[in-house]
Amino acid sequence: MADMVTKEKRYGFMPGCSLPSYNPEAVAKTIEFLNATFPHFSAVQKCCGKPTKAVGQYDLFKERFAGLQADMDDMGIEDMIVACQSCFLTLKEASSTPVTSLWALWPKIGFPDDLKGKAADSDIVFTIHDSCSTRYEEELQDGVRWIMDQLGYQVHESKHAKERTRCCGFGGMVVPVNPEIAQKVMVKRVETLEKENVVVYCAACRSSLLKGGAKAWHILDLIWGPVVNEGDDSPMDVLASPIKSWVNRYKAKRGIVHAMR
Amino acid sequence: MADIKFSDAVIDTAGTVVNKCMGLEDAPCMSACPMSTDAKGYVNLIAEGKFEESLKLIREKLFLPNTLGRICAHPCEAKCRRGTEYGEPISIAALKRFAAERADDESLWDLTKADATGKRVAVVGAGPSGAQAAIELARSGHDVTILEKLDVVGGMMRVGIPEYRLPRNIIDHEYTYLTSLGVQFEFGVEVGKDVTLDSLREDYDAVILAHGAHKGSIVPVPGHDAEGVFSAADYLREISLTRSFPRAGKRIMVVGGGDVAMDCARSSWRIGAHAVVQCSLEDDETLPASEEEIREAKEEGVAFNAGWGPDEIYVENGRVTGIRIRRVLSVFDASGRFNPCYGDETKEFSVDTVIFATGQKVEDITSGALEQKQGGRYVVDANTLATSMENVFVAGDAAGTNIVIEAMAYGRKAGLSADRYLTGRTLDDGRDFSREFSYGTKLDVPIPEGTEDLPRLSPNLRDPRVRKRDFDECDTGFSDEQALKEASRCLKCECRLCMRECVMMNEFGSCPKDILDPLVNRGEMDPLLAYSCNGCDNCTIVCPHEFQLKKVFVGSRKDFVAANRGESPMKGHKVIKLHQLLGFSKFFTTKIRGRKK
Ligand SMILES: Cc1cc2nc3c(=O)[nH]c(=O)nc-3n(C[C@H](O)[C@H](O)[C@H](O)COP(=O)(O)OP(=O)(O)OC[C@H]3O[C@@H](n4cnc5c(N)ncnc54)[C@H](O)[C@@H]3O)c2cc1C
Repeated sequence: MADMVTKEKRYGFMPGCSLPSYNPEAVAKTIEFLNATFPHFSAVQKCCGKPTKAVGQYDLFKERFAGLQADMDDMGIEDMIVACQSCFLTLKEASSTPVTSLWALWPKIGFPDDLKGKAADSDIVFTIHDSCSTRYEEELQDGVRWIMDQLGYQVHESKHAKERTRCCGFGGMVVPVNPEIAQKVMVKRVETLEKENVVVYCAACRSSLLKGGAKAWHILDLIWGPVVNEGDDSPMDVLASPIKSWVNRYKAKRGIVHAMR
Repeated sequence: MADIKFSDAVIDTAGTVVNKCMGLEDAPCMSACPMSTDAKGYVNLIAEGKFEESLKLIREKLFLPNTLGRICAHPCEAKCRRGTEYGEPISIAALKRFAAERADDESLWDLTKADATGKRVAVVGAGPSGAQAAIELARSGHDVTILEKLDVVGGMMRVGIPEYRLPRNIIDHEYTYLTSLGVQFEFGVEVGKDVTLDSLREDYDAVILAHGAHKGSIVPVPGHDAEGVFSAADYLREISLTRSFPRAGKRIMVVGGGDVAMDCARSSWRIGAHAVVQCSLEDDETLPASEEEIREAKEEGVAFNAGWGPDEIYVENGRVTGIRIRRVLSVFDASGRFNPCYGDETKEFSVDTVIFATGQKVEDITSGALEQKQGGRYVVDANTLATSMENVFVAGDAAGTNIVIEAMAYGRKAGLSADRYLTGRTLDDGRDFSREFSYGTKLDVPIPEGTEDLPRLSPNLRDPRVRKRDFDECDTGFSDEQALKEASRCLKCECRLCMRECVMMNEFGSCPKDILDPLVNRGEMDPLLAYSCNGCDNCTIVCPHEFQLKKVFVGSRKDFVAANRGESPMKGHKVIKLHQLLGFSKFFTTKIRGRKK
């Protein structure tokens, strides 16, 4: 976690890859909200290069990351807010710019009044699936729980939560290499979640859990979307379709431009 | 792809894993067994109701499961995690008896033998060590003859261990395995008297001395040479063979605190004693006898005087009339040497018989040709049991063992050595000596979550008032229900905790040590392994050593890329390549500096 929140600084936000490919509207709304919160604010849409690094192309990664760093510097960003846990870790390790997780930030800047308690009457109980890459980032995990509480949703903590969370099956670029294994991991993860309805804060995790047989929502779906009730179906697995994903990614880019106007 | 050179960090991490991973370590019960019997394995098969499979697993190592199930001194139980953790070890030996009673059948006996070699081996003694040596040699195709002084098989199991603990028909039946294997027996032949070792060495290609320790010892207190003083060895042998001991009286003092003393005391009731008293240098806390034996002796009314030593045997007309015992202040001196120190307090008992259960010695049957040390044990090579005579090996108590299962392990060892000698190989050819006896295990894992402290099942013992008057078996054995319940307490000690977490490693081997062995020993790793790791760290979290396997799997990917002209070696990663190109392309990226507010 970077320094204390201060309105003097120029904050930036990057949605990452899987989130804009999944839900461009949520990206736009988040940016609108942050832009209204911080007097000095910039937005960037670009990959952090984690996949390049994960397959082992370290030199190429350095080159690509330098591009992102240049964008951040160019936009005068002094503290980068991220919604993706891989971005969080990648920036933490490779960037000269301090990085803040959106989930850890939210309790510090306060929840929008009109959204507080919006799901107080919902009968659904969510299990939280924590991202395994940030299993040791307690502040980030607590922030997610704080948001669920602000929204008014009921939450069940499974045995495999937080530090003891299990992989969704997506990590390590395994899916395109060994899809059978990845599918087994996805099913196994769902089996250990104890409840059918799951809330995640990574769009790739969401896609994996759907493949594993659970119903899963991204926490931004719950924040910006309609109230969910027991028995509701979760949004479809958009990331399963490359075409839809890239169309969305493009939509997100347009949405960002629009939201920053 | 070019040859891969894995980076030092990868090799170092993998090396540590292969060195320290406990995935292939044996459970404490198994490693404590001198015969390496897979106790965890057979106990769990019982728990699953697979009695025949359990029995078969036992028979892979032990030819007399029904015998050992009753009398094995069970070093496995001393190491059982339920014992070291809660003081309630699994009744492993009794479960072995159960499996044998429930499922043993001659049709399951493995009688496979190698082709006949034409070599002849003489084994002296039909105790467990001689029997095991004979089995080993017969299986290797040699012609084996056991020469036995007595007319019965079993050795000390037959003439030491009393019948009420081990019915004789069980020994006889289990020994028919040897006859089925083609082992010959010559009974009533005393080596050293009826036939010399030298002539055996002439007539046979190799000789194994497995004649045990049958020479009783008597402590030379005043009166020790009176009529009515006997050694445990003589006393128990005669009772075993005849169910009587006419030279004994009705009031018996047993001197000694070990299991042999308990056997003497309890046997005394069965031949009609009216009073049985015990005394031993060791006090209640340090009595060497097993807890079960002490408890059962007490139940049968043996009066204990632990911490009292024999002072003088009273004699009238050459016969024992009583004994005075004296309080022991300490058994060992400051330097740890055996040097009993007595106080002033004494007690007297009117007895007509004194039995000394104070140790047995090995008789020399080589006319001094082989050197002996303490207790008459022969001087042997500890690894091979070879002696200074090139075709003579020693097994069992004659070489220093103390219990049946150890004697068997020495029998096997001597057999393996003799086989090598007979086939012209060096004695250490292809052997891992550390696995020929009990060994240490590195296994050190946390007790499984949610483990309850469940009590050990007590044996089903007959009423002591009844059982002490006959030779029938005291312990009637477990019922199916009891055995299942007792076997289910097993903690199934193993590590492999990471294997329960990780899906992908299970596709590549049994544990990290197994999986990374090719990398460490041959510099090889399947790229599919490296690229199947999600990098989630779930292995690290549960690993008692907190090994970071990710450092090997994900860490090696840059080495694969370097060997593959900068690209991932995995075909599937073409998608990622495209994905990344788009993710960084102008079309899908943007950057905007917000307006001043
Ligand atoms: C009273 C008593 C109780 C015991 N209880 C237990 C127990 O409960 N559990 C346990 O694990 N261990 C027990 N033991 C120890 C165990 O019996 C021995 O460790 C084991 O039997 C040794 O096996 P062995 O083959 O080396 O010798 P033995 O079993 O002693 O067999 C040696 C054989 O050689 C024969 N023999 C001797 N001299 C000659 C000769 N010159 N020529 C030909 N044959 C000869 C003997 O008659 C005998 O049959 C007990 C021992 C005693 C004395």
